[in-house]
Amino acid sequence: MTSSTAAIFGLVLMAVVSLGAGLFARRWARTTSDFMVAARAVRPRVNAAAISGEYLSAASFLGIAGLVMQFGYDVLWYPVCYAGGYLLLLLFIAGPLRRFGAYTIPDFAEGRFDSPRFRRLAVTLVLIIGFFYALPQMKAAGLTVQTASGLPYGAGIGIVAVVVVAGVVGGGMRGITFVQSLQFAVKLFAISVPAFLLLIHFSGTGVPFARGQGGLQRLTSTTRFQVTSGELWQVPGSIKVRVAHPVTVGWQRQAPTAGSGAPAAGFEGGTGPVASVNHSRDHRLRLEGVGQLPRGTVTWRGVDLVTVARGQPAPFGSETPASTTAAWMQPFGPLAGGTGHPLLFTYSLILAILLGTIGLPHILVRFYTNPDARASRRTALLVLVMLGAFYVWPPVFGALGRSYDPSLYGNNLTDAVVLILPSQLGAGWLGQTLSAIVAAGAFAAFTSTLSGLLVSLGGAFGHDVYGRWLRPSAGPAARRRAFQLGALGSGVAAGALGLLVGQFDISVLVGWAFAIAASSFFPLLVLGIWWRRLTTLGAAVGVALGGGIATCSIITTMIATVSSPLAAFLGEHSNLAVVLSQPAIVTVPIAFACMVGISLLRPSPPGGVSAKMVQLHAPDRLGLRREYIPD
Amino acid sequence: MSANLTGALQSEADPPPSTGLLEFEEQTEVGELYLKALVRRQRRLSLGVAAVFATFLLVQPLLAWWWPGWSRLRLVGIPVDWLVLGLGSYPLLIWLGSIYVRRAEEVDDEFTDLLR
Repeated sequence: MTSSTAAIFGLVLMAVVSLGAGLFARRWARTTSDFMVAARAVRPRVNAAAISGEYLSAASFLGIAGLVMQFGYDVLWYPVCYAGGYLLLLLFIAGPLRRFGAYTIPDFAEGRFDSPRFRRLAVTLVLIIGFFYALPQMKAAGLTVQTASGLPYGAGIGIVAVVVVAGVVGGGMRGITFVQSLQFAVKLFAISVPAFLLLIHFSGTGVPFARGQGGLQRLTSTTRFQVTSGELWQVPGSIKVRVAHPVTVGWQRQAPTAGSGAPAAGFEGGTGPVASVNHSRDHRLRLEGVGQLPRGTVTWRGVDLVTVARGQPAPFGSETPASTTAAWMQPFGPLAGGTGHPLLFTYSLILAILLGTIGLPHILVRFYTNPDARASRRTALLVLVMLGAFYVWPPVFGALGRSYDPSLYGNNLTDAVVLILPSQLGAGWLGQTLSAIVAAGAFAAFTSTLSGLLVSLGGAFGHDVYGRWLRPSAGPAARRRAFQLGALGSGVAAGALGLLVGQFDISVLVGWAFAIAASSFFPLLVLGIWWRRLTTLGAAVGVALGGGIATCSIITTMIATVSSPLAAFLGEHSNLAVVLSQPAIVTVPIAFACMVGISLLRPSPPGGVSAKMVQLHAPDRLGLRREYIPD
Repeated sequence: MSANLTGALQSEADPPPSTGLLEFEEQTEVGELYLKALVRRQRRLSLGVAAVFATFLLVQPLLAWWWPGWSRLRLVGIPVDWLVLGLGSYPLLIWLGSIYVRRAEEVDDEFTDLLR
C-alpha cells in the first residue's frame, strides 16, 4: 500500500469538484424529461464528452494498463474493441434509435413490437446488466481509495456512493451530463500527461520494449515484499532473498511458463489463481537470513518480510502467469496462449467486446439526449475521436510498468500500475503532482460510470417499472420521484453489495454484462432497426435465448472456479472452456438465427411496421418526427 | 396515425408538401418503395464501412497465426504489431466514422430533395 498525501489531495479535490458541479447543475433540472433525457437538448460536443466520460470506467482507466502489464499484446484487443464498438454503434444504431424517440431500450422494445410483455423482459435484462456493471466499479472505488490513501476499503465505497447518488438524484441526466463531460476532461488529462512525461523520463534509458527483451524481468530497485502464509510465488529464475525471520517454504520444481495459467475466465482480466500447487510433490526449504529460491513455484508458510535486491529476477504473484518478456510481447501470449485454442479465444474476445458495447443500455440511453439524428451521428463520431485520444495511453502505462516496476507482479498490484508508476519520478514535486493527478483521474473514472449506471437504473425503475408497468396513470412528477427513488435505491444497493464482494474476484461480472448485452440487445436493435420482417415472437425468443445461454455459460465458468470436477472436465475439453468463458462467438449467432428463423417461419410482423420504419429512417429535414413520449 | 406524423414540427415557412412527401407520409405503395430504397442505401453504406473495419481487425490474428515473422518486425525498437493495433486502429476508426457521417448525410439529403 502506498499512501501519499498528494494522492489523497487528488481524491478529495475530485470528490469536491464532482459534488460541487452536481449541485451547481441541479438548477437546470426541473422536468421529468430533464431527469431522464436532459430535455433532449445536449449539444454533440458536450454529449460526446459525457458519453466518453461515462464509458471510460475504472476498467479503462486502471484495468487495461494492469492487464497489459500482466498479459501483454493480447490485451490490446480490449481498448481497440472498446473504441471500435462505437463505430458499429455509429453505423447501425445512433441515428435511427434517436429518431425513434424512446426514453430507454425497453421503450424501444415495446414501441417497435407493440408488446408490453417484451418491455418486462427488456427491463429485467437492463437491471441485470446495470448491476453487474456497477459492482466492479464499487470495488474499484474501494480499492483505489485504499491503495492511494490507506483508508479502509469501505470508506472509498461510501464516499463514491454519496457523491454519485447526490449528483444523480439531485440533477438527473441533465445535471450528470455536465459533471460527466467535466470528468472526461479530467480523465484524458490524467492518463495522457503522466504517460507522456513518464515516456520522456524513461526514454533516457532506451525504448521500454528493449529492456529485458526475450529474457527475465529483473527488479529495478531493491524491494520488500510482505508475504503471508499460503501466498504463492512463481519464481522464473533463481532469486536471492533476505528474510526477516526464519521461515519454511514449500517448493515445486514444476516451472511456471508462459501460458501455464488457468483458463482466462475473467473478461476484465480477472483470472483465477494461476498455478495450483500439487502438495504431494512439494519439497520443503528452510530460509534463514539470506537464501536462494530456486526456479519453480514457492508457497510461503508464514508471515514474513522478504527483501529482494535490485537486479534479481522479479517474482510473479498468484494473479499473473509468469512469462518471459518475449512471450509477453507476442500475440497469443500468456492470455490467449493459455487457452485451448488461442485463435478461437481471440476472435471470441473481439466479438464480445465489439458487440457488447453496442448493447449496453446505459450507453445507449445517452443517444436519446441528442436533439436529432444528425446530432446523434455527430456525437458518435466525436466519441470515437475522444476515445481514440484516451485509449492510446493505458497500454503505455502497462508496457512501462513491466520494464520499470516489475515488483508489482510479486505484490499482485498490477491493477494499480497507473496509480503507482508516477512515483517513479521521485518524491519531488513532479512525482507528487502526477500521483495526485492520476488519483483524481481514477476517482473521475468510477464516479462517472456509476453516475451513468444510476441514471439508467433509475430510468428503468422510474419510467419502465413504475411509469409503464405498475402505475401507467402516474403523472410526470410522480415518475420523476420514482426515478429519484430508483436511483437512490440502486446506489445504496450497489454500495452494500460492493462492500460484500470486496474479497471476491468479481471482474468477471463486467464480462457477463458485455456478453449478455452482445447476445440480447445487440441483435434486437440491429434487426429491429434494419429488417422490417422481424416479428415480435422471433425477437423475444432471440433475446431470451441469447441472453439466457450467455448467462448460463458464464455461471458454469464461475462454478468451475470452485468445483474441481467441473474444472477438470473443462481442462480436458479446452475448446468448450474457451466458448463457455467467452460465449459471444456462439450466443450472438444463436440469437440472430432465432430471430431470423422464427420470423421467416411464422411471418406476422407487428402492426404498423411501415410507420415505424418511417420513424426510424425518415431524414430529420422531412419534419415527420414525433417523440415517442410527449412530456 | 398519419395525423400524428404530419408535420407538427414543420415551420410555417415550409412549402406545402409535394406529392412525394404525401405518398411517403400516407404510406401508400409508392411511399413504401421510397422508404425501402432509402433503408437499402443506408444499410449498404453501413455494412460497407463495417466490412472495412472488420477486415482490419480479423486479419491481424490470422496474420500472427500463419506468419510468426509478423510479430518480430520492429520500428525504432517498438514491435510493429503493437503499433498497428494499439496506435493505428484509432485514426482508422475516426477516418471511417467521418466518411460514414458525410455519406449518410448525403443520402438523407438526396432523399429529402427527391421528396420535396
